[in-house]
Amino acid sequence: MSSVAGLQRIAPVPTSADFIDIVLNATMRKTPTVIHKNFKISRIRNFYMRKVKFTQDTFDEKLGKIISEFPVLDNLHPFLSSLLNVLYDKNHYKLALGQINTARHLISQVSKDYNRLLKFGDSLYRCKQLKKAALGRMATIMRRQKDPLAYLEQVRQHISRLPAIDPNTRTLLICGYPNVGKSSFVNKITRADVDVQPYAFTTKSLFVGHMDYKYLRWQVIDTPGVLDHPLEEMNTIEMQSITALAHLRSAVLYFMDLSEQCGYTIEAQCKLFHSIKPLFTNKPTILVINKIDIVRLSDLSPENRAYVDTILSDKSVTVVEASTYSEEGVMDVRNVSCDALLAHRVEQKLKGNRIELVANKIHVAVPQKRDDVERKPFIPDSVKDRVKYDKEDPNRRRLQRDEEQEMELSGMGIYSADTKKDYILAVDEWKYDKIPEFLNGKNIADFIDPDIAEKLDALEREEEALEAQGFYDSDESEMIDSDEEEYRDAAKQIEKKKASIKKISQEKNHLQNRPIIPRKKRHVTLSEFTTGMRKSGHDPLVLEKRAARMMEGKKEAWEAAEARDAAEAGASGDMDIDMDGEPSSASVSGKSRKSGKPIRTKSGMTVSVSSSRQPRSNRQMAGLATVGQSDKANELRDFAQRLPNRLAKASESDRHVPITRPKWMLAGKRKGGKTDRR
Amino acid sequence: MAVRTQFENSTDIGVFSKLTNSYCLTALASSTNFYSVFESELADVIPIVHTTIGGTRIVGRLTAGNRHGLLVPSTTTDQELQHLRNSLPPSVAIQRIEERLSALGNVIACNDYVALVHPDIDRETEEIIADTLKVEVFRQTVASNVLVGSYCALSNQGGLVHPKTSRSELDELSSLLQVPLVAGTVNRGSEVIGAGLVVNDWCAFTGLDTTATEISVIEATFRLQGQTSAAVINEMRDSLIDHYA
Repeated sequence: MSSVAGLQRIAPVPTSADFIDIVLNATMRKTPTVIHKNFKISRIRNFYMRKVKFTQDTFDEKLGKIISEFPVLDNLHPFLSSLLNVLYDKNHYKLALGQINTARHLISQVSKDYNRLLKFGDSLYRCKQLKKAALGRMATIMRRQKDPLAYLEQVRQHISRLPAIDPNTRTLLICGYPNVGKSSFVNKITRADVDVQPYAFTTKSLFVGHMDYKYLRWQVIDTPGVLDHPLEEMNTIEMQSITALAHLRSAVLYFMDLSEQCGYTIEAQCKLFHSIKPLFTNKPTILVINKIDIVRLSDLSPENRAYVDTILSDKSVTVVEASTYSEEGVMDVRNVSCDALLAHRVEQKLKGNRIELVANKIHVAVPQKRDDVERKPFIPDSVKDRVKYDKEDPNRRRLQRDEEQEMELSGMGIYSADTKKDYILAVDEWKYDKIPEFLNGKNIADFIDPDIAEKLDALEREEEALEAQGFYDSDESEMIDSDEEEYRDAAKQIEKKKASIKKISQEKNHLQNRPIIPRKKRHVTLSEFTTGMRKSGHDPLVLEKRAARMMEGKKEAWEAAEARDAAEAGASGDMDIDMDGEPSSASVSGKSRKSGKPIRTKSGMTVSVSSSRQPRSNRQMAGLATVGQSDKANELRDFAQRLPNRLAKASESDRHVPITRPKWMLAGKRKGGKTDRR
Repeated sequence: MAVRTQFENSTDIGVFSKLTNSYCLTALASSTNFYSVFESELADVIPIVHTTIGGTRIVGRLTAGNRHGLLVPSTTTDQELQHLRNSLPPSVAIQRIEERLSALGNVIACNDYVALVHPDIDRETEEIIADTLKVEVFRQTVASNVLVGSYCALSNQGGLVHPKTSRSELDELSSLLQVPLVAGTVNRGSEVIGAGLVVNDWCAFTGLDTTATEISVIEATFRLQGQTSAAVINEMRDSLIDHYA
């Protein structure tokens, strides 16, 4: 049940004692419980502050939920709002909610105060006492809310049992003196089961029943009987009827008992009609004369008839006679009142602008003839004399569902519908023939048409003929004119540019994701090296000369080796035998070449060292060709040094730990490994 | 006669079935309940065929057809096509269509004489529709929706269209189709008529949520009880106004 009469479902309200238990339990379960007096004082304070704050939060949340769940009377439909007013007394209700709200504020105030005090708690004991005091004060505040909580719980229970009255739908409202047959009538036309007893005020609250009429759903409200006395003297039971009469847009059925078996005279009943008549304005009103199995309107004495006529003098009142005992005229009453209400509602709606939205739905578009073709419906003759399927009929048609159910009940396994049973084929035996999907690597379905091969041949012949005629020939040269050439040129350029951009970006990624060969190990050709040198402003002439010189030596060795190979190949046809001699000679020559190199370089170095004690060149400028490059290098170095400088350290590895095992940490009661000295 | 039913707890029965004057297709389900609802009303009158289309159960949305023919999308397998050919009477032409808008049930709405199609459908497809189904084809929208098959249900005796179709549009469509048209809803206010309702000239099946008012409108519109639609709708006028407004 999500809502009752437009009211949201309300969660049960606990009693004040339960409330305190719930909240304190939650605090215990959901906050840490282990504390030690040797803990740092800030930790102890936090521990207790958290407890106090959590308790306050829980109270706040629970009380806030109560306040938000109970309906605000001023926001409800006028009918509901005044019904709740009648039932629960608006002032009392508001007061109770107000008290709950005040309690909520007080609790948050207590929490604020004690948290402030807890900041100055200087030991575990004091903090604990402060917490205890805070929770105690909160509990006291809640204990004082015993009465409002109990009242709200009662209201909640009552609201959850209110009938689901929709104030906006089509409603028949039944009213009259007690015991005139209102509830019997409701029981007759709806499936509501209202208690009917032969004494007054059997019905003590509103009851709702539903019925269908003219494709629509109708709501019938049975009200408690009303006595004829001023509004101020009416009790809660009567006031419910008055509330419904005053606020619901409905048809009013005023019930009268001419037999006076209800214990009220016809005169009194007519007087009541007149006194509550102001509530009937703008509502279709039907006067229902009940119990006609005893007395009919025509049987009345002239003076009583005069009383009734005072009501009937008003032309807007329709009179209908019925007897809920003999069921005579009951349906008439229903039909007359429903029709009157429907007409009234439609009239009101036609005045509004919403009618334009539904105008198309009550319009049947009738076609205008556009030609003389007759388009008749196609209904097979077998439909007309077909027996309507009836589930209860023992001779009914046997359906697949029946077969399935039988099979399931007998436990014979899972039913699977036979889809081939109803095939329409030339010979019935063909139905269950197995046909392969593929045969000899060909799809069977492709050869369903017996003439398929001929058709394909015909198509191919036609194609060949077309080709022979030159139907598909086209001269490309004519097609391309100067404009198009330009386009193609531009397109080509764009493509080239795109490709180059793509390549650059790919290379970027490529480098990021792969191990890079260190520069020292990478093979660099002479030409690459020298162009690089030139680009950065050095003259690589010396290097080039040296490389050429070294190349000379290598070339000579190669030529000699080649000549020897040729000679040996000519001397003996067998190659395999000589293989072991060859590498040794090559390695010897290689060694001799290598051994020559360091000597030369070493001698060069000894010369440079011995020539002067002063550095021959500014080392800081080494490898840098221009002043600009050296400035750049300085700048980069300073940048790299920024962080170590700031931390007053030489470099990343400059890390000093003054004492490895401080005494204050290791001496004493505490076990090792409990504290991090940082 | 309008019958309320559901397919495996879904009220969109038009998705899982296709009903015409000469045959009925239903989707294969885990039980035969859905099939048997059609069987109880239609058995011995027209063939009712259990089938899938392209391996899916949404046969109503993928196919379009009438008394003369059945159009299936290119996703239909050769086996399904053979099964349909074996099950349907020879008078019904079956045609597989290569069309980009492959949910043919959503893009084609037709009775035995006229068809409304999606405005973007291929010209070739349009010709195939005209030849196979023997209908006049009109490219149209219903209440500015291009999916004409989803938003209307047609028979030779009447048609129900999207509830937001304006009066002038109703009149225009009605003159094209040459059947009386009513704007309405199915399944308690659903505007996808094609999904909630399958109908032929003598019976209709609607989703289980369809209200009494909606059923009455459907029965009146498609003349399932033998009366003229205009008379019934006029009689229901008050109820309709109170129900909708």
